[in-house]
Amino acid sequence: MLTFVLHRSLGLVVSTFIVITITFVLMQLIPGDPAAVMLGANATPEQIELLRETWGLNQPIYVQFLRYLSNFLHGNLGESLFHRKPVLEIIAQRAETSLWLGAAALLVVVGLGIPAGVLGAIRPNGLTDNAMLLIALAGAAIPSFWLGLMLMALFAGRLGWLPSSGFTSICETGNLANLKSLILPGFSLGFVNAALVARTTRSSMLDVLQADYITTAKAKGLRGRVVIMKHAFRNAAIPIVTVVSFTFASLVSGAVVTETVFALPGVGSLIVQSVLKRDYPVIQGIMAVVAVLYVLVNFATDLSYALLDPRIRYR
Amino acid sequence: MNENVVQSKRGRPSWWGWVRSMGASLWQFSTRRRTTGIALLILAGLLLVAATGPLISPYDADEIRMTDRLQGPNKTHLLGTDHFGRDILSRALSGTRITLLLGISISGFALCVGLPIGMLAGFFDRFGLVVMRLVDAVMAFPAIILALALMAILGKPGIVNVILAVGLVWAPRMVRVVYSATLSIREATFIEAARALGVPSRRILLRHVMVNLVSPVIVQATFTFAFSIMEVAALNFLGVGIPPYVASWGGMMNEGRTYVIRAPWIILFPGLFLATAVLSFNLIGDALRDRLDPKLRRVM
Repeated sequence: MLTFVLHRSLGLVVSTFIVITITFVLMQLIPGDPAAVMLGANATPEQIELLRETWGLNQPIYVQFLRYLSNFLHGNLGESLFHRKPVLEIIAQRAETSLWLGAAALLVVVGLGIPAGVLGAIRPNGLTDNAMLLIALAGAAIPSFWLGLMLMALFAGRLGWLPSSGFTSICETGNLANLKSLILPGFSLGFVNAALVARTTRSSMLDVLQADYITTAKAKGLRGRVVIMKHAFRNAAIPIVTVVSFTFASLVSGAVVTETVFALPGVGSLIVQSVLKRDYPVIQGIMAVVAVLYVLVNFATDLSYALLDPRIRYR
Repeated sequence: MNENVVQSKRGRPSWWGWVRSMGASLWQFSTRRRTTGIALLILAGLLLVAATGPLISPYDADEIRMTDRLQGPNKTHLLGTDHFGRDILSRALSGTRITLLLGISISGFALCVGLPIGMLAGFFDRFGLVVMRLVDAVMAFPAIILALALMAILGKPGIVNVILAVGLVWAPRMVRVVYSATLSIREATFIEAARALGVPSRRILLRHVMVNLVSPVIVQATFTFAFSIMEVAALNFLGVGIPPYVASWGGMMNEGRTYVIRAPWIILFPGLFLATAVLSFNLIGDALRDRLDPKLRRVM
């Protein structure tokens, strides 16, 4: 197990390095002088020169890169042009909302997707199964922002049951009732992925249910629920874990639009605002943070394979 | 070749046999599953709308009629009007052309970048090692975030920039598909035979490997199309895609956001157009994969 973890950790370091390098390279692609671009058309040559000096833009590219790398390792992602605050601080302020939204969406993904998949596998081609196939097909074609807006029109507009937008911090106010604002966004974000998880769960369970040890378990007279949960589900878990971890990227992507739709003050809406304002350091910072998170999620997924299936450790 | 000769003896032009066999396979392809036929019909409809454009739309897509603003679906405006009194149906029809154009350009771009790089990466190990590391790293950025950042870097909203930004997001995925297909093709006996005959690598790649990549590449291009029009709609919805004065499905949904509770139809219908288009491409992609590349068949 230890060699397995060490081996994967090495891969983790390499991937993080490449990802950080890409965020650096991308920002070098901004046409023209970055300092001039960032200060806008009204900047004087002295201001531009000053900015070039402070950011070390007049130094050779490899010095800039090394400086960027060392800053990153020290948790310094630069300073926002618009807010005049450190990028990491801005991201941290926005992180709470995004994390709650992510948790809500993941709850929908796992809470709806996995049971639906198991039910579908127990009765293939039954009502649940066919409904699920239909939803999965439609779900892959429906943009989450459209679903969100339609749910908003129905539940916040017509029926008036739920708030249509906004979110107030729970950590600051301690008011758990604020979670109500996340029901619609969480559902519209999670729903599409839930369908995907359900399909994967179904096919993985169907494979396992045909195995001999399931017949044995049934023959022993074990109750159906025990066979399904203890014998089948655990063995079907690896593809499910994989697809749930894949949803990370898709949830982050979806969060960008969902947060904008529901006016949630999260990291996703932050990147949209930063793109509209050309706040390059914030864009770069969010990209780096998200990509590193993605690499970490992949790492955790790899480790969970080893926990779920001991055979993987020896490969 | 032989078949054509036989056909021409019967007094029909030699291309007739080819047309007939293509027609027969198309018919077989579209009738094997009901969904494939429906998807192809939808696609034909979209192409027709894109080709005829303004000819079939009831109103000018950009004509502002403030007296008609925010009308629900009715007899004069089948799908209602938006906050400028513009006809939703006409605007949605007009958005079809730009959507298909962008989808084709983006999948074309991803293909032109992904095919050569993926093929070389699959064929030459050391190059492949470097390229695939890079591809994996690029794929660590969620699609929309990378596209947003690229739009910010490229500068102004515009059609070409959207093609580049979304194309660069999907090209690595194409590289990956081509790479893994090339890896299995190059182990085939006919490649070994070609090598034994002393055929140079360049010729092997162009004449033997590339031909066999056609199926996986077509399948992937279809999915790229579906994903990319969805992503373009998201960019337009966020206001960073093509300029707002061009009618697009995503842009319409963006403009309707303020009125979503009063006039949900402004968003409902463009979204349905988009979902239908994406669904039809996904179904065609699934059917093509089952048909062309049974080995890749999805388990789900």
